[in-house]
Amino acid sequence: MEVEKTFIELLLPYILALAPALAAAVSTGTPILFATLGELVTERGGVLNLGVEGMMMVGSLAAFVICYHTGSPWFGLLCGGAAAMAMSALHGLVCMVFQGSQVVSGLALTIFGVGVANYLGTPYIQQKAEGFTTFSIPLLSSIPLLGRVFFQQDAMVYLSYLLPFLLWFLLRRTRFGLALRASGENPEAVRAAGISPFKMRWASILLGGFLVGLGGAYLALAFMRMWADNLVAGRGWIAVALVIFAFWRPGRAVLGVYLFAGVTAYLFRVQALGVPIPSSIMAMLPYVMTLLVLFVSSLRGKGSGAPADLGNNFKVGD
Amino acid sequence: MSADACKGKPLIRLEGISKHFGKVRANHDITLDIRAGRIKALLGENGAGKSTLMSVLAGRLQPDAGRILLGGNPVFFRSPRDAHQAGIGMVYQHFMLIDSMSVADNVLLGQEKSLTLNPRDMQRRVAELARRYGLDVDPAAKIGTLSMGERQRVEILKLLCRESRLLIFDEPTAVLTPGEARRLFVSMRSMAEQGKAIVFISHKLPEVLEISDEISILRRGEVVDGFERANVPGEAELARRMLGRDLSLNSGPEAAHVAAPANAPASISRADPAEAVLPGLEEEIPPPVPEPRPMGWLGTDRQLSLEAAIYNRSQRAGENGQPEAEPAVPGDGNLNIEGVKRRGRGKLVAETEPVLALAGVNCRVPDSAGLTDIALSVAKGQILAILGVAGNGQKELVEIICGLRRADSGRVSILGRDVREFHANQPSRGGLGYIPEDRRGSAACPDLNLVDNFLLTTRKLFSRWGIMDYKRARQVTRRVISEHNVQPDDSKVLARALSGGNLQKLIVGRELVRNPRCIVAENPTQGLDVAATEEVWQRLRVARETSGVLLVTGDLNEGLTLADYLAVMYRGRIVDIFSIHNQAKVEQIGLMMAGAIAARQDAYGGQGCAPDPAGD
Amino acid sequence: MNGWQLIRRTEPREWGSVAVFATAFAVSLAICALLLQVQGHNGAGGVWLLLKGGFGHVYSYGEILLKAIPIFLCSLGVALCFRLQVWNIGAEGQYVIGTLGGCWFVLNFPGLPAWLVLPGTLAAAMLSGGIWAGLAALLRQRWGMNEIISTLMLNYIGIEILNHLIYGSWRDPAAMNQAVGPYFPPAAVIGRIWDSDFWLKHGVSEGTADFFFQFFGRAHWGVLSCILAGLLCSFLLRKSRLGYEITAAGSNPRAARTAGISYNRLVILVMFLCGALAGLAGFQECSANLERLEPNIVMGYGYTAVVVAWLARLRIMRIALFTLVLAGLRFGVENIEQDLQISHAFANTLEGIILITVLAGQLFNDYKISRKGRPAASGATGGEERGS
Repeated sequence: MEVEKTFIELLLPYILALAPALAAAVSTGTPILFATLGELVTERGGVLNLGVEGMMMVGSLAAFVICYHTGSPWFGLLCGGAAAMAMSALHGLVCMVFQGSQVVSGLALTIFGVGVANYLGTPYIQQKAEGFTTFSIPLLSSIPLLGRVFFQQDAMVYLSYLLPFLLWFLLRRTRFGLALRASGENPEAVRAAGISPFKMRWASILLGGFLVGLGGAYLALAFMRMWADNLVAGRGWIAVALVIFAFWRPGRAVLGVYLFAGVTAYLFRVQALGVPIPSSIMAMLPYVMTLLVLFVSSLRGKGSGAPADLGNNFKVGD
Repeated sequence: MSADACKGKPLIRLEGISKHFGKVRANHDITLDIRAGRIKALLGENGAGKSTLMSVLAGRLQPDAGRILLGGNPVFFRSPRDAHQAGIGMVYQHFMLIDSMSVADNVLLGQEKSLTLNPRDMQRRVAELARRYGLDVDPAAKIGTLSMGERQRVEILKLLCRESRLLIFDEPTAVLTPGEARRLFVSMRSMAEQGKAIVFISHKLPEVLEISDEISILRRGEVVDGFERANVPGEAELARRMLGRDLSLNSGPEAAHVAAPANAPASISRADPAEAVLPGLEEEIPPPVPEPRPMGWLGTDRQLSLEAAIYNRSQRAGENGQPEAEPAVPGDGNLNIEGVKRRGRGKLVAETEPVLALAGVNCRVPDSAGLTDIALSVAKGQILAILGVAGNGQKELVEIICGLRRADSGRVSILGRDVREFHANQPSRGGLGYIPEDRRGSAACPDLNLVDNFLLTTRKLFSRWGIMDYKRARQVTRRVISEHNVQPDDSKVLARALSGGNLQKLIVGRELVRNPRCIVAENPTQGLDVAATEEVWQRLRVARETSGVLLVTGDLNEGLTLADYLAVMYRGRIVDIFSIHNQAKVEQIGLMMAGAIAARQDAYGGQGCAPDPAGD
Repeated sequence: MNGWQLIRRTEPREWGSVAVFATAFAVSLAICALLLQVQGHNGAGGVWLLLKGGFGHVYSYGEILLKAIPIFLCSLGVALCFRLQVWNIGAEGQYVIGTLGGCWFVLNFPGLPAWLVLPGTLAAAMLSGGIWAGLAALLRQRWGMNEIISTLMLNYIGIEILNHLIYGSWRDPAAMNQAVGPYFPPAAVIGRIWDSDFWLKHGVSEGTADFFFQFFGRAHWGVLSCILAGLLCSFLLRKSRLGYEITAAGSNPRAARTAGISYNRLVILVMFLCGALAGLAGFQECSANLERLEPNIVMGYGYTAVVVAWLARLRIMRIALFTLVLAGLRFGVENIEQDLQISHAFANTLEGIILITVLAGQLFNDYKISRKGRPAASGATGGEERGS
C-alpha cells in the first residue's frame, strides 16, 4: 500500500502535466494542421509538393512583414496564404507546364523558400508583431478541463477546428471534390469525362498552397509573434509525413497532428518537471517523432490510400 | 425496321475523312453514315484504320481533311469534350475508370448537375439507368472489386448517363468471357432499340455477323465495302474482302462464337494434320506467301475464328509438302540423339525430364483469385499454352515461375532444380528465358539504348569478374538486331524509339541468345502487326526444338496455332490440360474459359500434363 | 497548350543542353539581382560583385577547390542514389555523422602509430556515414518508408547528435567558453596542398611561397580522394556489371527486377556508398580545415550536393564542373555577404533558383515543341502497338 501510494504520488505530476500539454498541443499543432491539410488537398489532386517547408517559410515571412507594417493580423494572414500560394503556383508552373519532376521541384522550392525567407527576413529578426489574440467561446470554454484547452484560443485555432470538416465536405460531398480526387487517381478518366484534370490539379495546388501559407502565417502571428531565422524548423516536412500517416484523409490528419503535437508537448512538460532529458535530445524530438509517424504509417503497407496518380505528370495539351 | 430506318437521315455522317501520321495513311477519304437505332460494325484488320477513324469521331484526333455532319450540320470536334457534348461517346479497350471510387462516382463524374453530392441519390440514379438498359452492376461497389465485364458496363453507363446518342465500342469483347460478351450483345441490342446509334469495332467475324445491322469493311484506311444485314455475304466472303486477298474459307454451318466453338464442323477434327486439308480447298489455297510471313493473314486476325485457326494448321502442314510428323528443322538431330521420336505434331513421346514442372502450387493473392492446386509440366520440344481470360491467375503463375513471387505451397522446379534455388543461381546460358507481357514496363528500359536493353538479361554472358565487355555486347546486339530484323537497325538508338513489334523482336532475340532450355512467353504477340506476329511465332517454333515453352495467352488462335498442349485457366485453377489433338476438349475450350466446366478433379500428381495418346 | 504539343525526344541532346544550362544560370542571376534590389542594394552591381568575388581572383581558386572537395564527394554519392531513383537528400546528415565517426576514432585511439591514424579515421568516417545512410535505405526497402522524409529527418537528427556531443562529453575543457572539440593530433590532420610553413622552413623564398599560396589557398589533399572517387565511380558505371545493373535498375526498376537484378540490394549498396562518400567528405573538411570538431562543420554542403547531383545527372565530368561552379557561387556569395551585409541564406536562395530554372529548362531538353496538327518530324511513333 505504502509503496503504491508513493508510486501514484510520483506519477501524479506527470498525469497533471497532460492538461497543459494538451493546451500546448493545440497551439503547436495548429500550424502543422493547416500545412498538413493543405498538402493533403494538393496530393489528393495528384500533385506531390515537397516544398511545404519553403512555402511555410515564405508564408510566415509575408504574414509577419505585412502584419508588422499594417498592424492587421488578418491582412497578414491573407498575405501569408497568398505568398505561399504564389510559391505553389511556381511549383505548378514547373511541374504542370514545364514537365519538371515533382520531387525535384518540391525540393528546389524548399531550398529556395527557406533561403529567400531567411534572406529577406534578416532585418526583422527579433522584431515583434501584433498577432492574434485569444478569446474564449462562451459556454464551451466553461467545460471543465477541456474547455480551457480547446475554447480559449485565438480565431485561427477555431478556424482549424472547422477546416477538417470543410475539407471533408469539399472532397467528399461536392462536385468539385469528386473531380479533384478523380484527377489524383486517374486524370485520363477525368479528361474522358469532359473535365480538365489540368485545371483540377491547378486548383488543388493553389488551394493547398494557400492553406500551407495559413499554417506559416499562424506560426509567425500567433505561435511565435516574432520573426526568427528558420522559423518553420522542419514543420513543413512533418506535415508531409503526417499526410502519409493520415492516409490522405482529413479526419485522420487531425488525429495525427494532435497526437504528434501532444506527445511532443507532453515530453517538454515532463522535462520541465525536472526529468533529466538532455536538451539536444528534446531538440531532436520532433524529427524522431516524424520518423516514428512515418514508420507507423508504412507498417500498413506501402502508400496505402495514396492517390493512384500521385507524383506523375501528364502531358499538356492533347 | 431496318429497311426504312436506313433510308432516313443519318444521325452522323463522316464525309471524306482523311488522317495521316507522318507517312502512314491511317484514313483516306472515308465516308460513312451512322443511323440511330442501328448497330453498325466496322470490320477490319489491325491497322486498317478503324480506331483512328473512331478517334476522329470521338474528338481525340483531328482529321487532316473531311468533315463530320451531325444531323446534317457540319461540326468540328476540337477535343473529346466537344464530341461528348454532341452526344458521341466511346467505350475504349482500356477502361478509364477510377479504381478506388464507387460505380456511381465514376458514372456521374462530370455529369453531376448540382454542386453538392448526395451519394445515396447518385446510387439510385445510376441503378435506375442500369436497369433501363439491362446493365446489371452494383452502384455502390468500388471499381477495383469488379470484374472486367462489370467495369465495361460502368463505362457504358457513363456514356448513357450523359445521354450519348452514339456509342462506339472499340473491340469490346476482347476482355470478356463468352458469357459476358453475350450479355453485352443483349444490352447493345436494348440500347439500339431505345434509339441509340451504335458503332461496333471488331475483327471477329462471328460476332459481327451476330450483332450488327450493317457492316462496313475498312482496309488500309479506306472503306472498301458496306452491307446491310439483309444482304451480308457469307463469312468467307467477308473475310476475303476484309483481308483483300482471294482466300476462301469453309465457314461452319453457323458462325460459332469465337470462344465457344461448340459447333465447329466435324470435318476438321481429324487428328492427322496432314490429312486435315479440307477437301475442295486445295485448289484455292494461294501458293505459300514468301517468308517471313507464310501465313500472315491469320496473324492479322488472330481471333478470326476457330475454323480459321485449325485451317491454318492444316495449311501449314500442306505447305511443307509433308506431314509435320517429320519436322525439317535443324535442331532435329538433337532430338533424335536424346531418343525422342516425333509422332505427329506435338506428339512427343519424350523420355526427357520436364524442363518445367509445377505440382500442387497454391498462392493466395489479395483482391484476386490467386492460384489453387496448379500442376503442369513442360518438356523439351513442347509448347504448352495456358489459355484463359486475363486475370484468372496467369500473371501470378508466371511470376512464380520467374521468381518474382513466392508460392504459398507446392513444388516448382525448373530444369530439375527448385525455383528459388534456380533463380538465386541462374546459369547464364541454357536457363530460363522470359518474354513478359508488358514489354515496355517489365522487359525494357525505354530510356536506355538497344545494347543496354539487350544486356538486361544477358549481362552475365558479357561479363567476367564483374567487368562488362561492352565491345562484344555491341557486336552481338548488332547481330541480333539484323538477324531479327529489328528496325531501326541502330544499336545506339533508345528503346523508346522502337515500335512495339520491333521491341518485341529485340526481346525475343535477347531471350533466345542465351539458348534457354525453358521459355515463358506471356502474350508474346499482343498488339503486334501481322509480320511481327508471324516472326515471333516462327521464333518460338524454332525455339521449341531445343527447349520447352510455356505460352500464356488470351488469344485462342495463338494457342491453337502454336501449342502442343493446351491448359485452360479459370479463377486460379487449371480447368483441364489436353493435347491439341483432343478435338472433344478443344471444342469445349470456350466453356472452360468461362468457368462453365469445373476443374478436373482427378489428381494431377507427378504426371502433370500427361499426353493422352488419343491424338494419333 | 493550345495549338502546341510536346514530343518526347528519342535522342538526348548534347549542345542544346549547354544552352539550356547557360540560360537557366543567366535567369537565376537576374532573379538574384532582383532580390538584391528588393533589399535596397544595387542588384546588377551585387551580382557582378558576386561573380567577380567567386571567380575573378587568383585567390578564389584555392577557396573554390576547398569548397569543391566536400561538395564533389557528396554529390557523387547522391547522384548514384538519384540514378537508382532513390531520393537521398541526407548527404548533410551522413556528412555530419561521418565527421563524428572520424572524430570518435581520433579521440579514442590516441596511442595508434601515426601511419595508421589517418586511414583508420577515414575508414571510421566512411563506415559511420555509410551506416547512417544504410539506415534510411533499410527503412525504405524493408518497410517502404519514404526516403525523402526519412533522410531529411536523419539530417536534423545527425546535427542534433553533433550538438549533443559537442556541448557534452566531447567538449574541450581547454577551449574557454567555446563549444568545440580538442585539436587533433598532427597525424590525424590532412595537410594543405601548399603548406607555406613547410616550404618556408625548407628554404623557399617568401615571395614564391605566397605566389603558390595564392593558387592553392587552404585547399588540401582531400582533392586526391575526389580524383580517386571520381575515377572509381567512372569505372563502376562504365565498365562494371554492378554499374550496368545500377543504370538499368534506375532506368526501370520493374524491368530490372524481372531480369533478376536485386533492386533492394542495389539500393542499400548505393546508399551505403553515398553515406561513405559523404562521411569521408565531412571528416576531411573537419580534419584539414578546422583541425578539430566544431559546430560550424555543418555548412549545407550536403544540400548543395543534391543540387549538383540533380543538375549533372551522374555524368562525372559534369558533376565536377557543376561542383566548381556552385562552389564558386558559394564563395562569391560569402564575399557579398560581407560587402553588402546580407544574410548567408542568400546562397541557398541562389541554389534553389538555379535548381528551379534548370528544372523548368529541362523541358527543352526532353521534349521537342511543335505546332499541333502538323505531322511530327520523328515518325518513329507511327502505327505502333495498337496503332490503327
